[in-house]
Amino acid sequence: MPEFWIKMWEWWPEIFPVLLRATAMTVQVMIGALIVALILGMAVALMRISTFKLLRYPALFYTDVMRGTPALVQIFIIYFGLSDLGIEFDPVSAAIIGLGMNGAAYVGEIYRAGIEAIHRGQVEAALSLGMTPVRAMRYIILPQALRLMLPPLCNYAILLVKDTAIISTIAAPEIMFEARRLVQATFMYSISGQIYLICAGFYLALTLPLSQVAKRLEKAKERWR
Amino acid sequence: MIDFLRGYEDYLGGWLWEMGIASLATLQLMFVSFWLACAIGMVAALIPMARIKSLNLLVKLYIGFFRGVPVLVILYWIYFALPEMGYEVLVVSSYTAAILGLGIHGGAFLAEIFRSGIESLHKGQMEAALSLGMTPAKAMAYIVLPQAIRVVLPPIANFAVGLLKETALCSIIAAPELMLRAKDLASSSFLPMHAFVMAAVFYYIMSFPLMRAVEYLEVKMGKGLRTG
Repeated sequence: MPEFWIKMWEWWPEIFPVLLRATAMTVQVMIGALIVALILGMAVALMRISTFKLLRYPALFYTDVMRGTPALVQIFIIYFGLSDLGIEFDPVSAAIIGLGMNGAAYVGEIYRAGIEAIHRGQVEAALSLGMTPVRAMRYIILPQALRLMLPPLCNYAILLVKDTAIISTIAAPEIMFEARRLVQATFMYSISGQIYLICAGFYLALTLPLSQVAKRLEKAKERWR
Repeated sequence: MIDFLRGYEDYLGGWLWEMGIASLATLQLMFVSFWLACAIGMVAALIPMARIKSLNLLVKLYIGFFRGVPVLVILYWIYFALPEMGYEVLVVSSYTAAILGLGIHGGAFLAEIFRSGIESLHKGQMEAALSLGMTPAKAMAYIVLPQAIRVVLPPIANFAVGLLKETALCSIIAAPELMLRAKDLASSSFLPMHAFVMAAVFYYIMSFPLMRAVEYLEVKMGKGLRTG
């Protein structure tokens, strides 16, 4: 067992910088996808709580399909499928679009749950004061709902970090892809275990702080009530 | 749209059959790894009850590590790293590696679900059972767990949906399941869009009943349940 760690120590300078750069790429993809998901998710949520069936059902269907099929399939459809139809993306943008669209379904659900958790009387009061529905949403509902949404949104961000691993399959240069390449290109098969362990370390370095934030937010939510 | 559907003309029959078979493999993979995850999760949830510090720490590390790491890392470890580093004893087929990877990863999630279920019960339940002369194991088996099941069933069903989707990742280590078959068909027919859309339909057909079950359980099990 000690030789495992000795080898890791010897190879550390070769492995670490490569994986660090890959982690930067992972973070970039994650933030990109998060932004897409947060914006698109708002549209999905607003459509889902609409009383207009033509808006509600498509959003319902979108959420169901996105949550019912693996993100891997969705990303393959966007990257390989669309390029077959003449719409080409580079791996990183395909990853951001794919994970973002997938995330919009989850984020949309979080938004919806948050909005619906606010007591019905709040909207009614706002409307009876003469606010338009849009204003009531903007000034009364959303500020209150945001507090409820923050902890689950943070949990979603953790899931997203872990989901970025799958984009190694479309050759986006993130952690798992670079790790596999490091092993294969430099014939470092004998230390592949160490390399993947360092990968795990990088993922933990991203997810553990986030889960601490989630815990904090969860506690803060109780206080705000 | 019509043009797109026409692309299926030559392939539909063969693909339906092949993907149908592969879907069964996916379900099998999911089923086996689900029970493995349940077993691991149950053990990891019950160990802290014994209040042995070193074991406790071990479980905490297990849960913390595997919840924070993508499944792919674990699959790579089991399937690529162990044989490559020369541990010949531990060489397993891609299918076994997939089951082990999903089971170990899922165990950490289920452990958290089980633990929250057990902790959601009022402490008085356990105390009452103990004061009636039950051993802690009996109290757990007959009093606490049957009540906790009600709390944990919806999140477990939710986990099952997630697990079904995670099986798609096992195609990366070439475990025989739906996604791998879809990739094969996509590259042999040069119709990636058609193949992957059809794979998505198959996945949706499999996850649809599970997702409805989650909704049903959330309503059914939530009835009369005191929360907080």
